[in-house]
Amino acid sequence: MSEKNSVIMEVKNINLRFGGVIAIQNVSFNIFEGEIRAIIGPNGAGKSSMLNVINGFYHPQEGEVWFNGEKRPSMEPYQIAKTGIARTFQNIALFKGMTTIENVMTGRQLKMNKNFFWQMLRYGPAIDEEVQHRRRCEEIIDFLEINHIRKTPVGSLPYGLQKRVELARALAMDPKILLLDEPMAGMNVEEKQDMSRFIIDVNEEFGTTIALIEHDMAVVMDLADRVVVLDYGKLLADGTPAEVQSNQAVIDAYLGVPH
Amino acid sequence: MEILYAILIAPFVEMGSYPDLFIQALWDGFVAGTLYGLIALGFVLIFKASGVFNFSQPILVVLAALSLVSFYKMGIPAWISVILVLILFYVLAWLVERLILRQLVNQDGNILFMSTIGLTFIIIGAAQWIFGGVPSAMIVNELGFPNGSLEWPMFDGGVYFEMIDISAAVIAVIMIVILAVFFSKTKIGRGLRAVADDHQAALSVGISLNQIWVIVWFVAGIVALVTGIFWGARSDVSFALQIIGFKALPVLIIGGFTSIQGAIIGGLIIGLGEKIFEIYWGPLLGSGVEGWFAYVIALVFLLYRPQGLFGDKLIERV
Repeated sequence: MSEKNSVIMEVKNINLRFGGVIAIQNVSFNIFEGEIRAIIGPNGAGKSSMLNVINGFYHPQEGEVWFNGEKRPSMEPYQIAKTGIARTFQNIALFKGMTTIENVMTGRQLKMNKNFFWQMLRYGPAIDEEVQHRRRCEEIIDFLEINHIRKTPVGSLPYGLQKRVELARALAMDPKILLLDEPMAGMNVEEKQDMSRFIIDVNEEFGTTIALIEHDMAVVMDLADRVVVLDYGKLLADGTPAEVQSNQAVIDAYLGVPH
Repeated sequence: MEILYAILIAPFVEMGSYPDLFIQALWDGFVAGTLYGLIALGFVLIFKASGVFNFSQPILVVLAALSLVSFYKMGIPAWISVILVLILFYVLAWLVERLILRQLVNQDGNILFMSTIGLTFIIIGAAQWIFGGVPSAMIVNELGFPNGSLEWPMFDGGVYFEMIDISAAVIAVIMIVILAVFFSKTKIGRGLRAVADDHQAALSVGISLNQIWVIVWFVAGIVALVTGIFWGARSDVSFALQIIGFKALPVLIIGGFTSIQGAIIGGLIIGLGEKIFEIYWGPLLGSGVEGWFAYVIALVFLLYRPQGLFGDKLIERV
């Protein structure tokens, strides 16, 4: 793991409301370069909303997002993707009609800049570009051990593999920050172990900064370097897994307090 | 017995005894089929990319033909008029994206469908206001398409190939090949298929929905222009042209709403089928078979293969 002292992303005093419903209330935290940062909390705590703010699906009413030391202006999700933020979704969002390799190739979409005219004519430089990006995709597919399903349409794959293809697509973007929304939801123990291993490998081999949402406390404690705990849209605790685990407010939120 | 003979045997005997007539029927059916296919293609493009059944596609065909002829009548050279029509369609695509699609992101398909009905009437009104509604002839010769016909003597008679039909078939084939390569080999094509599958996921890998929608509507406009030129050459250029748009519906049901090759093959099935059926079985049923044949075939498909020949089969996991 790389040095963990430089802040790559910081969210400051985020407030997000939907009509009268307050989804996020004055939440601030930061993400260090190269770390695995977990966001946990009970259902409806605002975890996914937070991820959606970072990747631009939601625009908070108040608050700032700082990325690479600069305050980020209000941007559309596809523009934010260009700045190097990739993500996966809680309810898998793959291109179901395409094969695994095609899905992963869409992750290189932004890096391809040859004219469509040359691409249609299969003109030399356009082919070279395609080959070069394809090679990178194949590496990622190897890395995540989904070689055997390269040419399979993803709609027909089992759930656990779909999650892995989604991770591959996000990785193909060579992201500066990778956002994972419940990467292990709905998996059995074995699949969870595989996915944990891949997340750690990605972090160690590529040095990718990862922010993930997870419900399974045991998994979070193993994976994460630091943990943010949200509850009812508010920041409850922020620290190392051990600190968070012994925090009384967190224990109350998870186990309930007698009234 | 006699009726069985008339249905099952007599037509084939006739095909065999007058092969020139049969070949003529095949050719006419083929040309009509490619044009049906082109209309259906316009629907498929937009349906694939945005999940919208674009009710206004037939009126786009009318708008293309009408504006082309009107520009020419203003004294603008034919090929410059074509370029002006393309510019018009680009502006239209941009406006549709800005004023309709962007406002309705994530809305139900029915709402988007309704909005295209609204768009249809806006275009009808605007086109009538600007270009007038007087039927006129398509400027085929001015565009440089050859006149007359080729006669190919064979057997006892001969088969006629109208030059304009040959041009239509050749251009339709070229266009289909270009579109197929565009969607399978280019980055934009890949982006388009991505948008068709999942909006959120497409955004998350950096694809701009807005840009893709403008491109798709523009390409559908180009398809409408080609259809308008050749269909306008077969009949007059008038608002009645949009009626042929309805022929695209059975084509789509047969080919599948999401498949480019489905649109073409569906078009050919309808074009060839209705021609052959009209000539050989039509007399048994009285004439006018061409009017309903396509819809009966579509009904059969709806019963036994609702996703069409090439459509995506819908399987819900429960």
